[in-house]
Amino acid sequence: MQRKSPTESEDLVDRTLLRTAGAAVGGALVMLAVVALIFFVRQPASTLSTTAPSAADASSAPVTVNLPREPRKFEDVVVSTEWLAQNLDNPKVRVIEVSVVPGVYERGHIPGAVNFVWTTDFVDTVSRDIIAPDRFQELARAAGINNDTTIVLYGDNDNWFAAWGAWVFRQYGAEDVRLLDGSRSKWEAENRELSTRAPTYPPGDFTVRQRSDLRVFLPDVLKVVRGEEQKVLVDIRSPDEFSGKIFAPEGFQELAVRAGHIPGAVNVPWKKALNDDGTFKSVEELRKLYAEAGVDGSKPVITYCRIGERASHTWFVLSEILGYQAALYDGSWTEYGNSVGVPIANPAGTIWGVK
Amino acid sequence: MSNALPGSSPADRAAPSKPVLTPALILRNGGAALIFVTLLIGAHVLQTTPGYGASAALSLLIGAALGVAFERGRFCFFCIFRDVIEHRNAGPLYAILTALAVSGIGYAIVFGAFLPNPFSGRLAPDAHIGPVSLALVAAGLLFGVGMALSGACISGHLYRLGEGSGYAPLALIGALIGFGLGFRTWNWLYVTVIADAPVIWLPHWLGYGGALLLHLAVLSVLGFALLRYVSPLPPRPARQLDIKYLYEALFRDRWNPLVTGAIVGVIGVVAYLRVEPLGVTAQLGSLARTVMHTSGMLPARLNGLDSFAGCATQVVQTITDNGWLIGGLALGAFGAALIAGRFQPALPRANGSVAALVGGVLMGWGAMTALGCTVGTLLSGIAAFALSGWVFGAAVFAGVWGGIVLRLHRWT
Repeated sequence: MQRKSPTESEDLVDRTLLRTAGAAVGGALVMLAVVALIFFVRQPASTLSTTAPSAADASSAPVTVNLPREPRKFEDVVVSTEWLAQNLDNPKVRVIEVSVVPGVYERGHIPGAVNFVWTTDFVDTVSRDIIAPDRFQELARAAGINNDTTIVLYGDNDNWFAAWGAWVFRQYGAEDVRLLDGSRSKWEAENRELSTRAPTYPPGDFTVRQRSDLRVFLPDVLKVVRGEEQKVLVDIRSPDEFSGKIFAPEGFQELAVRAGHIPGAVNVPWKKALNDDGTFKSVEELRKLYAEAGVDGSKPVITYCRIGERASHTWFVLSEILGYQAALYDGSWTEYGNSVGVPIANPAGTIWGVK
Repeated sequence: MSNALPGSSPADRAAPSKPVLTPALILRNGGAALIFVTLLIGAHVLQTTPGYGASAALSLLIGAALGVAFERGRFCFFCIFRDVIEHRNAGPLYAILTALAVSGIGYAIVFGAFLPNPFSGRLAPDAHIGPVSLALVAAGLLFGVGMALSGACISGHLYRLGEGSGYAPLALIGALIGFGLGFRTWNWLYVTVIADAPVIWLPHWLGYGGALLLHLAVLSVLGFALLRYVSPLPPRPARQLDIKYLYEALFRDRWNPLVTGAIVGVIGVVAYLRVEPLGVTAQLGSLARTVMHTSGMLPARLNGLDSFAGCATQVVQTITDNGWLIGGLALGAFGAALIAGRFQPALPRANGSVAALVGGVLMGWGAMTALGCTVGTLLSGIAAFALSGWVFGAAVFAGVWGGIVLRLHRWT
C-alpha cells in the first residue's frame, strides 16, 4: 500500500482525527443533554419505597385474630407436580415463584407463574419488617389474586423463600395457600414445561385481613423464656449454631454478638422435614419427627432461625401441614442474640466468641 | 497493507490453490475434529451430571462458539484498538460496533420478557449494570495499559491459549495475582468511591425502546465517523460458490468484522437469555478468591461486593458455569486455529514474559475492580444499556492509547 511522506500523512490523519473526536464529544454532550432533559421532565416512577411507611399505613388493615383452622388434608396444603401440571389453566389457581437467586424465574418458570421478589415484595425495604399491608394488597391484586384464589408457591433452595411467602400470604388473610412439593428442582427434574414469558392477569380484588396469631415478637418470646407462657420454642438452625459452636454458617453476613440459642428451645434442623429429593416427609413421619423433640401440638409453638426465613419452612410444616398452633419469630437469632438483657443458652461455652 | 479490511488483503486471501492432503493437514483437521467431538461429548456428559445440568453444558458450547468466532474473526480488543490507534485502520473496530448493536437489540427483547416494567426501580436480573465511579475509570485505564503491555485482553489471551501463545498462560497467571490485589484494595475503594457511586441504567429513564434507539444512534454516529479510516475494498474476482469457497471462507480466511461482530452479539444474547451475561473473568476471580480464602489472605469481609451484578466471584470448590465457558472458549479457539493452520506454539522471550505477567496483573486488578473485563463489563455492560459499560470502554481505549504511545506493546 502506498503512503505519503510520514509528516504529511500524519498531519492529515491528526486533523481528521481531531474532527472525529470533536464530533464524538459533541454527540456525547447532546446525548447527555437528552438524558438529563428526560430525567428532569419525567420523575422516575419508583415503586420501591425509600421512606419508612407511616403508622397510618400499618393500621389501615383490620387486624383479626383467627384461631387455628381445622387441620387440612396434606393434599390441600402441599400440591404435587402432577396436580400443578393439571391445574395450570385453572383460573382459580395462581402460581407464584419466589426464588432467592436473581434470574432463575426469568430464564424459565412454570407457565403462568408470577414472580415475587423476596427482597422487595415480601419485606419492607426500610424497616426490618414484613411488607406493609397496603403495598402487599396492591401486589396481590396486580397478580390477579382474589380472596378465594388457590395460591401455590414454589421456588429454589427447597422452597425457602416460597415458605416465607406462604407465611406472609397467610398472615395477610389468604386462606388457601399451598407449596409445591419438591420445589422447583422436582419440576425441573421431571422435565416439565417451563416458560420465559411474564404473564399478565386482570387485577384481582384481594383484600388484606391481617392476622395477629402467626407472628411473634421479642417480648412474646421473653414471656416464654421467663415461664410466663407455656409455649415451645423450635430452633431450626444447624446443631452447631444451636450449641453456640459457630455464630453462623460460613458466608453469611448477618450475625449476632452472642452464639447459642434461646433458653428452653429444642433443635430440629428445618431440612429434616424433607426427604432426600426435597419432597415433604409423610404426615406420620413429620408428626413423629417433631414429637420426638417434644413438639406434639399440645402447646403453641414458636419457630425461629437466624434471620427468620428458614424458620418459615418449619412454621409451614407445623402450622399448615400438621395443624398445630404455630407462630414465627422472624426477629430470630439476629435480634435475640444481639439484644441487651436477655438470657441465652450457650452449651458450647463461647461467650463473645472465646472459650 | 495494514489499512485493508481483514479478509480482503492479498495475504489473507491467497490465490486459490489445489488442495494437497499432506500428513500435517490430516493431523490438523483430525485434531480439530477430535476437539469438537470432545466438546460435544463433554456437553452431553455435563448435561446428565447431577449438580451441573443444562446450564453448564450450554456454557461449554457457548464458550466454544465464542472461541471459534474470536479466533476466526481475530476478535481481540487490543489488536482492534491498536489498528485504530497505530495504523489508523478502523476496519476491525466494526466487529465491536456490530456486536454491540446486535446484542443491544437482543438484550432489549430479552429485557422485555425478564423485567416487563423498566421503570419499577429494579434492575434487570443479573445484567452487568455496575456503579459508575472513579474506581471504574482507574480500572479501565490500568486494564488498557495491561492490554498493551501483555499484548491482549483477558479474552484475547484465552483464545490465544488455543493458538499456542506462550505469553497467554503468563498473562492469565498475572491476572490471577491481579485479582488477589483487587480483593485487597476493594474494601478501601468501596468505602471511598464505589458505595456512593450511581448505578445508571438507561432504560430507567428512557424505557427499552428509547434506550435502544439512543444505543443504536450512538453506535451509528461512531460507525459513520470512522468510515473514513476504512480503506476501500480491493476488487474481488467473481468466484463460484462451491464447497471449496465455503471451506476457505469458513476455515481459512479471516472472517469479515461485520459477520464476526454479529455472531458475537448473538452469542451474547443467547448467553444472557439462557445462562448469564457473557463474561470471562468470574471463574478466574473465584479461583483467586478461593485460594486467598483458604490461605487466609482474603480480607474477612468484602464490603458490598456480592451485592453488585457483574462477573461475580465466589469462594467455590467446583467449576462454575463460567469455568466451563472459559474452557470451551480456549478449546474452541484451539480447534479453529488448528484447521486454519494458525496453531503456532511459541516459547515466550524473557523480556516479553515479564511484560505479559505485569500486564496480566494490571488487567486482573482492573477486571476485579470494574467487576468484569472487556467482555463482561464492556460488551455485556453496553449491551445491557449500562453507563458503566461505556465509561469502562472509553477508559480502556484511553489506557491502550497511552500504552501504545509509551510503546509498552513492543515488549511482547
